[in-house]
Amino acid sequence: MSTEQNPFGDLLQDYIVECLPLAEQVGDAFVELERRWRAGEPGDDLLTSVKGRLHTLKGNSAMMGLTPMRDVAHALEDACGFLGRAPASRGDEAAALLVAGAGLLVELVANASLETDGGPAAGFTERVRSFLGAAPDAASAPGDRRQSDRRTQRRLGESAGASNVVRVDFRRLDAMLELLGEGLIQHSALADLYRRLLRRVGASEELGELDQTVLSLQKTLTRLESTLMETRLLPVSTVFGRFPRLIRDVAHAEGKKVRLEVSGGETTLDKAVLDRLGEPLLHLLTNAVAHGLEPSGDRAKAGKPAEGVLRLHAAAVSGRVAIQVSDDGRGLDEAAIRARAEALGMDTRTVDPAQLHNLVFLPGLSTAERVTTLSGRGMGLDVAANVIHGLGGTIEVASRPGQGTVFTLSLPVTLAIVRSLIIEVDRERYAVPLSHVAETVRAEPEAIRQINNQGVTQWRGDLIHVADGGAVLGTQGASGGMRPFYVVMTAGARRRGLLVDRLVGHQDIVVKGLDPALGRPTVVSGTTILGDGGVACILDVVRILDGAGHAN
Amino acid sequence: MPTDGRTAVEPLLGFADALPAAPSETSAPAPTHHLLTFVLDREEFGIPVTQVREVIRVNGITRVPQVPAHVRGVTNLRGRILAVVEIRTRLGLPEAVVTPASRIVVVEVRGRVLGLLVDRVSQVTKVPVESVAPPPEEVVTTETDFLTGVARWDSRLIMLLDLDKVLLPNA
Repeated sequence: MSTEQNPFGDLLQDYIVECLPLAEQVGDAFVELERRWRAGEPGDDLLTSVKGRLHTLKGNSAMMGLTPMRDVAHALEDACGFLGRAPASRGDEAAALLVAGAGLLVELVANASLETDGGPAAGFTERVRSFLGAAPDAASAPGDRRQSDRRTQRRLGESAGASNVVRVDFRRLDAMLELLGEGLIQHSALADLYRRLLRRVGASEELGELDQTVLSLQKTLTRLESTLMETRLLPVSTVFGRFPRLIRDVAHAEGKKVRLEVSGGETTLDKAVLDRLGEPLLHLLTNAVAHGLEPSGDRAKAGKPAEGVLRLHAAAVSGRVAIQVSDDGRGLDEAAIRARAEALGMDTRTVDPAQLHNLVFLPGLSTAERVTTLSGRGMGLDVAANVIHGLGGTIEVASRPGQGTVFTLSLPVTLAIVRSLIIEVDRERYAVPLSHVAETVRAEPEAIRQINNQGVTQWRGDLIHVADGGAVLGTQGASGGMRPFYVVMTAGARRRGLLVDRLVGHQDIVVKGLDPALGRPTVVSGTTILGDGGVACILDVVRILDGAGHAN
Repeated sequence: MPTDGRTAVEPLLGFADALPAAPSETSAPAPTHHLLTFVLDREEFGIPVTQVREVIRVNGITRVPQVPAHVRGVTNLRGRILAVVEIRTRLGLPEAVVTPASRIVVVEVRGRVLGLLVDRVSQVTKVPVESVAPPPEEVVTTETDFLTGVARWDSRLIMLLDLDKVLLPNA
């Protein structure tokens, strides 16, 4: 509505989409610059790269008539130009000025409107002016200006000629995905039709050609799928990018020295996953700063460097993306976790020591007011874990007293199309994401023993539980006998077998949501349409392994 | 009958409009309720046609684990997943057995699209407003809460359902 009345609105939105990441990158670079200067390194390369971004920001802001943003970008550009020529002026004062300016710029850009208050921007440009004025060698701004103009011309030339990049509304990619999904379903239907035809009339030359065509259609669709998937992928740095500045602020507020080391930012994830990942990651990082890392004094006593190290690392691992958030802080307080779990009525003697740490993800185990007095962690950890699980991911924690804590997340690269195993239990079909399937096994009745009313079998040298599919899914068929197969499902380090009637096959499924009318089932996470037009539920393996469905 | 498993309501409505509105039509157009009526356990129920999007044949309903008792499952509505409500149990009647006459009435209630599993669809009809009485206390098979009224008309008894209450218990 507002865009109808104000055609400027769309442009403004484009401006924010384009400039906010730039402004955030500028802020990150300044935080890094501050660190390097403290370490006695020059950081000239950073100054140069940042000036390019500032110049773009300045130009875009000027084009939109957003004077405050233009002025702040300009002032920062001047300051960078000056600091590039005057190494003697680099230091904490200069760094604080740059970081403050970048923070202001991010805020201005994020809330860009024509009514933006020019006061803070004017205040900042004044600060820069007095900083430059106080410095010995500040007279060469005009030369710098000429250089920038040359760069502008070069940039304009680039964008007019060689750019192959188009910006697309992400919803269009979603629409394309829907269409691809329909194509995949129609392909399955066609392949099925071919098989029925073959049975009915027997082999013939034409049917052979049909088979070939159906096969090459599948190859084309698969390629289309991977191309489309690639289009949807963004580097995780688009989410990681805002952390250095935010963490710097948290560390300041906590009065702690923290160095955030980010690596693997080039790892890619589907935008739909990335969009929901920022919150839980920020949760983990701020928690680590606030509660994981000790104050400098305590660190000195423990013989650690005063500066705490926080690491954020992403990597592609066998078709999924692993993200680690680690700190070199005090580690989880096991006694406190145990005490809190006992208070919640849990018998922690039966909990595997390796699993004890993972209790912090249980709701109520680490509530906000408990955080500082108890484990030192856990504000909203259950919430963060829920978001990760909702993305089809897993989260685990490992910790050593005095040495630090590592949170390990494993995430699917995409949410939209999931290669799945289709199984059948009591005449209903279900999809199990292949990333959660370790193996399918023919169930030999004598190989599965009953212990405490639970099926247990030997699998790859370990004892694992085997649950009846009908019991988990609430169908409990009339069969009575043992189902002929079991699927070994995995999530993180957990494994469980699920007895099923039939293994239908593998299929790329397009994930569709659950209607709110269906309530909140815990054993299924969504639905999909199969090749024959029927609907199958997608099993929520993580929650089934957590014990969901048992009571039913 | 179309063979693709769907019976569009639009043509049905057009057909109904082309006919004299009702057998007992009077010359002056009296205010009427425009209803789609269907049968549940030998009783006839009516809902406003304005809430009906289409009527489809039952083409496989997939059970979903752990859903509320009155949800029968989900079905494929041209690539969209449609939740199908077991309206009989919601009204205190025994669960439906799907027969060739069974239909799913696709309704839109407060922006949400849901399917109602019914034994059969009877017709699109206009019922004079004055033939509708408040729901009688002694209706035994239905929770009177779910009715906006009962139409006694053309020697029939049509119970008018309040879909908001039937489908959105917490709204």
